[in-house]
Amino acid sequence: MSQQKLTIEYNDKVVRQFILACVIWGAVGMLVGVFVASQLNFWRLNFNLPWLTFGRLRPLHTNAVIFAFVGNMMFAGVYYSTQRLVKARLASDFLSQLHFWGWQLIIVAAAITLPLGFTRGKEYAELIWPINIAVALIWVVFAVNFFWTLARRNERALYVAIWFYIATILTVAMLYIVNHLSIPTSLLHSYPIFGGVQDALVQWWYGHNAVAFFLTTPILGIMYYFMPKAAERPVYSYQLSIVHFWSLVFIYIWAGPHHLLNTALPGWLQTMGMTFSLMLWAPSWGGMLNGLLTLRGAWDKLRTEPVIKFFVAGITFYGMATFEGPLLSIKAVSALGHYTDWIIGHVHAGALGWNGFMAAGMIYWLIPRLWSKPLYSTSLANIHFWTGLLGILLYVAAMWSSGITQGLMLNATAEEGTLLSNPNFLDALHAIQPLMLMRVIGGGLYLVGWLLLAYNLWQTVRGAQPVNGSIDIYVEAKTPAASRDSASAAADKERIGWLPTFGNGPVILSVFLVGFASLWMMGSGIVSALGIAGSLVTLIAGYALLYSRGKDWQDWYEKLLLNALPFSVLVFISVAAGGLVQIIPTVLVSKPDNVEDRLQIPYTPLELAGRDIYVREGCYNCHSQMIRTMVPDVLRYGDYSRLGESIYDYPFQWGSKRTGPDLARVGGKYPDVWHLRHMEDPRSISAGSNMPSYPWLSTNNTDVAALPSKINVQRMLGVPYGPLSPQQIFDDVNAQAKAISKGLREAGAYVAPEKEIIALIAYLQKLGQSENVAATRTASVR
Amino acid sequence: MSTHDATNASPHSYAAAPATAHAGAATDDIIREHTFDGIEEYDKRLPNWWLATFYGAIAFWIGYWFYVEQAQIALSPEAAIELELSRIEAAKLAANSANLDDATLWQMSRNAVFVNAGRETFNSVCASCHLQSLKGVDEGGIGHNLVDDEWAHGGNPTDILAVINNGVLAKGMPAWGPVIGAKKTSEVIAYILSHHTEPAHEES
Repeated sequence: MSQQKLTIEYNDKVVRQFILACVIWGAVGMLVGVFVASQLNFWRLNFNLPWLTFGRLRPLHTNAVIFAFVGNMMFAGVYYSTQRLVKARLASDFLSQLHFWGWQLIIVAAAITLPLGFTRGKEYAELIWPINIAVALIWVVFAVNFFWTLARRNERALYVAIWFYIATILTVAMLYIVNHLSIPTSLLHSYPIFGGVQDALVQWWYGHNAVAFFLTTPILGIMYYFMPKAAERPVYSYQLSIVHFWSLVFIYIWAGPHHLLNTALPGWLQTMGMTFSLMLWAPSWGGMLNGLLTLRGAWDKLRTEPVIKFFVAGITFYGMATFEGPLLSIKAVSALGHYTDWIIGHVHAGALGWNGFMAAGMIYWLIPRLWSKPLYSTSLANIHFWTGLLGILLYVAAMWSSGITQGLMLNATAEEGTLLSNPNFLDALHAIQPLMLMRVIGGGLYLVGWLLLAYNLWQTVRGAQPVNGSIDIYVEAKTPAASRDSASAAADKERIGWLPTFGNGPVILSVFLVGFASLWMMGSGIVSALGIAGSLVTLIAGYALLYSRGKDWQDWYEKLLLNALPFSVLVFISVAAGGLVQIIPTVLVSKPDNVEDRLQIPYTPLELAGRDIYVREGCYNCHSQMIRTMVPDVLRYGDYSRLGESIYDYPFQWGSKRTGPDLARVGGKYPDVWHLRHMEDPRSISAGSNMPSYPWLSTNNTDVAALPSKINVQRMLGVPYGPLSPQQIFDDVNAQAKAISKGLREAGAYVAPEKEIIALIAYLQKLGQSENVAATRTASVR
Repeated sequence: MSTHDATNASPHSYAAAPATAHAGAATDDIIREHTFDGIEEYDKRLPNWWLATFYGAIAFWIGYWFYVEQAQIALSPEAAIELELSRIEAAKLAANSANLDDATLWQMSRNAVFVNAGRETFNSVCASCHLQSLKGVDEGGIGHNLVDDEWAHGGNPTDILAVINNGVLAKGMPAWGPVIGAKKTSEVIAYILSHHTEPAHEES
């Protein structure tokens, strides 16, 4: 066999591009973060301008940090490490450039549309449908480029980092597409196909796993490449890689409902969300262990190497955040922490500590290698580290204290639990003002650190020569037919085939175990008992086989790692399972026909227009519409929310944060003029409120022309609107709007009926109205 | 096609550091044969405490699911809150049994402790509509003026009590009594009455 030397030059150009984009968008995203945080302390920073209000800018902040900052960082890290781990140049320069520029264009489109109020009204899924399609397409470009590179690899086996990248690409595609399924009503507006409780479940299946598969798994993969590289030490444990990878990607998907604890979500889903979150603790810490313990024997580098400092701190924050997550998923802890700043602190421990520090470590490691020049200043990188660390600590400590204060004050009851200790919601807000200011300082410090990185990068790169890495490999010469036959024979020996992919101990046992456990959980009586018996038998058989056939299983897994497609299929099956078990029953069962107590009364056309204004202004960023099954919630806001009371809400607006009070039953609580004055200047009604003023609602006209198309789509989605002609819709709007306007005039305030505030008032006054269908349902059964 | 590793031939020194330069520590650890771009892997067994955490969480899931979802031992969230709410209702009914009458409320309005406590509650809860001046609509507020001598819903202390307890929903006055409780309600009434004078009693 003769061998040929082949030099492969890596595509590091696209890596450099993504690094620069990451640094720039990171700074933008953090700057917007510091700004919106300041708005909570100083309401005047909303400037009475629609496109600068908190409700529109907070989605810009979250989207910029997740998709622009971490997104670009992920692409840089994935592309750099994958090429080296598989010894192949990225498959297509064209796709790489399309990926880069397409992604930047999406970010620019988001940065323009979000402040203008074009939104889908679901957290981290706000972008409007044309941009959704662009995201999906560019993600496919990424996937094709990545898997094509794998197909052309010169390294037979897949390293653990690649496993995580595969899981990322497949799962994000699945989550993104399902949660963005919408029916457009116009070029810029759509309604999601899921409503109410279904939308809530799908949204947090997506939202939670966006954290898992956009902010966690790709970064774990990056850790598995850059940490051993930087430390020059072996990875701690290959066994641990296997166990924590598979348990992490499988369990994560089931944990989404922990965002909806104590709500109207059916109880079994809440129990599932809580228990699977707890089971997620160990798999997450497996990643932390493998990251930190890789440093065994090289801890001294922690003193001298900024890269190692960032990695170690980042992985430590990962460990803290993945302990805090399961903790917050316990129902009783959620009762205290949910809707408060504690959650904000939790996500920032992840975003600033884990994502931000891993990004910084990776970038400092890459800069000299991508530009072939030593870093401009190591001491500046050290200053960045300490500034950033101080920033995070201030931020997280402030939000812990703030969240717990808020939770305790809002939940506190007096006189033997019969009354609220702090009936005025604003008392809690005023108590946390100093802590919110401390958060601004912490976030500001973190931003300063990031700007130091940007400066350091600029000073290093300026005038430097970009360098592409390369590698020499030896491949067999392709000429003699005999050797080609023997080569293909060797390749055949490595090919696993579909039957052995699925037909082997670990896969079959896992399928049986998940199936039986699902029967046990979901079934009742004999089915449940069958599930228990089946699980036990599978477990015992599994242990017996592990001891007798363990070696075969190992060989099977080693062989699987030589086969990217079968490996990817198994990954996809294990991430799809949780969603299927949760979403399908909910879509089938939790629908209007099955509601047994209170059923929402559909919105009139004017109220629907008002609701779309509520969504446009991002009210859900500060106001929930979900009174939990907790005494303090009921004492403060009224009877707890039922599943049927938001069943026609496309999208659902249960919310995830209470910077202001819950609005689920605000309808009818105050007169129309209260809402008018409150929207024009919240402080004229509630002294000390930090809500923005919305003067433009009194001058803008309601978009009535869009209503016929919107109502058609709502009808298509299952909201019981009769056949309404456009004229009937307009007449209905006019009549209701005039009545509200007339009432306001009688109360001493004049607003023309066609103004947006009239529609919004109509919507707010509708909140919490339902009919009791229990009686009619029972009667019809009889 | 088979390949094997070549020396790392990067054109610059930074990427050329092989990850094999480790010695001394933990020589008994087995290193896996295959390396990826110079990255080596130990195959250390899983730490026991880590396994215990994992198995413990799984055991908790099984036990908790059985307890909450199947054995029907734990109350459902709805049943639990309904039980709590009926307990609260009972406590409130008991607390309200000492009925307030006009004379008592007037007496409270002359008691500085009551009036001061009432002022605080009033400013925090009522002033958004009735204003801190209590002049409400006459000074641009939303609620009625409470210091003039016009009473839309009756000016006796017990009438005011009824308004606060039940609200006047048609006019936009929420039922605050159940929210702030009997004690604070009586204090607020005392504060409002402190702006008025008790009419002279007819001899009886």
